[in-house]
Amino acid sequence: MRIFKLLISPRFIGFKNSLKKSQSNTKIKILTLTGTGILFWLVLFFFTFRVLTYFSSQEMIGDILARHLLAMVFLTFFSMLIFSHIITALSNLYLSQDLELCYSTPASLAELFLSRSFYTVIDSSWMLLVFGLPVMIAYGVVYSAGLNYYLSLIYVSFPLIIISASLGIMMIMILVRFFPAQRARDIMMFLSIILIILLYLLFRFLRPERLVNPDAFMSIAQYLGALKAPDSPYLPSHWATDLLWARLTMYSGSQILNYLLLWSTAFAMVVIDIWLAGLIYSEGFSRAQEAKRRSRAGKRILEKIVSVITRPLGPDTTSLIAKDIRTFFRDNSQWSQLLLLGALVVVYLYNFSVLPLERSPIKSIYLQNALSFLNIGLAGFVISALSARFIFPAVSSEGQAFWIILSSPLSPRRFLWSKFFAYLLPMIILAEVLIIYTNYLLKVTAFMMALSSVTIFFLVFGIVALGVGLGAVYPNFRHENIAQVATSFGGLVYMISSSVFIALVIILESGPVYTILSSHFRGEPITYLQWIWIVGSFSLVILLIILAIQRPMAAGLKALNSYEG
Amino acid sequence: MITFENITKIYSGIKAVDNLNLHIEQGTIFGFIGPNGAGKTTTIKMMAGVLRPTKGRIYINGLDIAKEPSKVKKIIGFIPDRPFLYEKLSGIEFLRFKAGIYGVTGDSLREKILYLLNLFELSDWADELIESYSHGMKQRLIIASAMIHEPRVIIVDEPMVGLDPRGAKLVKELFKEWAGEGSTVFMSTHTLALAQEICHQIAIVDNGRIVASGTSEDLKKQAGVEGDLEKTFLKITGGVATK
Repeated sequence: MRIFKLLISPRFIGFKNSLKKSQSNTKIKILTLTGTGILFWLVLFFFTFRVLTYFSSQEMIGDILARHLLAMVFLTFFSMLIFSHIITALSNLYLSQDLELCYSTPASLAELFLSRSFYTVIDSSWMLLVFGLPVMIAYGVVYSAGLNYYLSLIYVSFPLIIISASLGIMMIMILVRFFPAQRARDIMMFLSIILIILLYLLFRFLRPERLVNPDAFMSIAQYLGALKAPDSPYLPSHWATDLLWARLTMYSGSQILNYLLLWSTAFAMVVIDIWLAGLIYSEGFSRAQEAKRRSRAGKRILEKIVSVITRPLGPDTTSLIAKDIRTFFRDNSQWSQLLLLGALVVVYLYNFSVLPLERSPIKSIYLQNALSFLNIGLAGFVISALSARFIFPAVSSEGQAFWIILSSPLSPRRFLWSKFFAYLLPMIILAEVLIIYTNYLLKVTAFMMALSSVTIFFLVFGIVALGVGLGAVYPNFRHENIAQVATSFGGLVYMISSSVFIALVIILESGPVYTILSSHFRGEPITYLQWIWIVGSFSLVILLIILAIQRPMAAGLKALNSYEG
Repeated sequence: MITFENITKIYSGIKAVDNLNLHIEQGTIFGFIGPNGAGKTTTIKMMAGVLRPTKGRIYINGLDIAKEPSKVKKIIGFIPDRPFLYEKLSGIEFLRFKAGIYGVTGDSLREKILYLLNLFELSDWADELIESYSHGMKQRLIIASAMIHEPRVIIVDEPMVGLDPRGAKLVKELFKEWAGEGSTVFMSTHTLALAQEICHQIAIVDNGRIVASGTSEDLKKQAGVEGDLEKTFLKITGGVATK
């Protein structure tokens, strides 16, 4: 036990030290992140509260819907916990840099395994616990639950976390028994992304929004049929749902069986994991140290892509972009996210194809044009989200090899603009595809088609510049995983700035566009004053876009010029 | 060839380098030695343009690195002590990348890359990703990449770290050859035997200041000791040998 405590102590000491020695700007970062977290927490609470209040107002089906939602929430939490434990277990048990040191200590294998599993549980569960709480509290408030319900939350979530952790750790130990850890990570990443895409597409194509509108179904039986959750009495999430639902509805029957099931399963799973670790963990760790040889698959295609894209550029820029493209496609955790992007785009386009425009009480032509206009904002937001993941980390992606750039004759200005242009073209193509295809589905006027295409074209310049520029202002060259960069404080600043920028452009354009459309449909001429307003607004849009390109790039350049690696 | 004028570097109120003045002639192998934390790596990074001095100027080939960084960096080959590289590139791709960044193009580039890979015994690994290289192989690749643009000044931080005896011997021979051809080598090292063997000039730095400089023999005379450079070093820097 003493060694176990020692093995887990560095993380706590490190955390304490980082808080103690944090400078004022770190404190501002912590405050901003906490503030955003609280805001998100509150939004989640009020959203759940609102949905549950609506359900409770529905006679007959209200409780069924609420029980159904609770089952879905628990099933989702349980699946996400398993998934999250798989990912963190792989890194904590096999790939962390401090593992070599830990393995060389006289700690027993069980102590080592348990200490790494402890890290895994902490890393995987805290966020889900924090963000699961508002949903659970909303249930408690709507159903006026007593203290018993809130205490049960602790008794229920603890074994649920332990079961999911044990399952995740067990799966990863078995996988690493057969594949080296690096390869196992690639496989898991790929499978999980495919799974997420399938679940996402399935969920979207089921159109859950119909559930709150029973009139859309032919009969009550069909409606109840559609409500069937993928639930099973053998799943721990089902035991947890039963238990908490009984506490919410003051059900007087005994819940001892559900408690016993949850706790005994948790205990049994821990015992099985320790036993399994004794058999295969140490061998798996040894395999994890094996060097990875290069996979030749796709090499020719990659070379072709690189040569086509970089052909018209100078040798230094060509080298930089070619390096970025190669690195991107060889990092499985990076390129596989393109599949997620594909699914996002498909669902985005699908949503437009199922819009019931013909049933709308508003005159369709107005609605279509208004939607097309809103679509600029939505597409801008999609591009921003993608940029947060791929463009904001572009500077940080140099990692600890950034000394090569710093010591090379490539100037920071050229370096930064190379990054900008490398990402600009694919983003413009994606944005234009989104806008033009959705406008086609909406059958908008030629004016709106032209306006949205031109607006999104220039918006992308600003979004990309914000991403590259702010990415240079908030670089993290010592990241273990590039995805961490997107979720940093700088990533948050980028998302806020980008959203504000898009919103401002939309606000500035919406008034004049409404005036133009109104005058067109009513057949009335635009007045002199209205023209001044229209020209003024569009001039401000141009100014805003110029500022959105120039300011962040200048700030990024300043940051790079004063960076000392 | 290399001139330091009153170079000072302050990190969070601590002087890492304190009013450093140096002049190194062309074709010299210059050894920069000193205890841990003496300011060697900071000095080297300032020369390579990775760090900026708090005060003072560094001139390389008559050019001020603060004023004309790109021009200076074009004639420098920098070899850091820790081989952080782009792990997802292969060895040959990395050399092509470095050549591109330094503006080296032309028909002979391919031959040059193959020559360097061969010289550093990396030919068999040329198409493998760098992530599968050992520490020593990465170090050899960095040295090879520093030669791709035929620099006139080589700045090396701990050249022998991670190299096997064959690699170490090769690097020693190369340094001598480059110096013979008129290039200047500025290296920091803890391997005193190496400094004694190949350096024309040596400076001992402690607490950010040069405490002794000259040839190996000059240093021994200054310290008043007989024997190898280790004794001289320990005497000057107040190490175990004096106790």
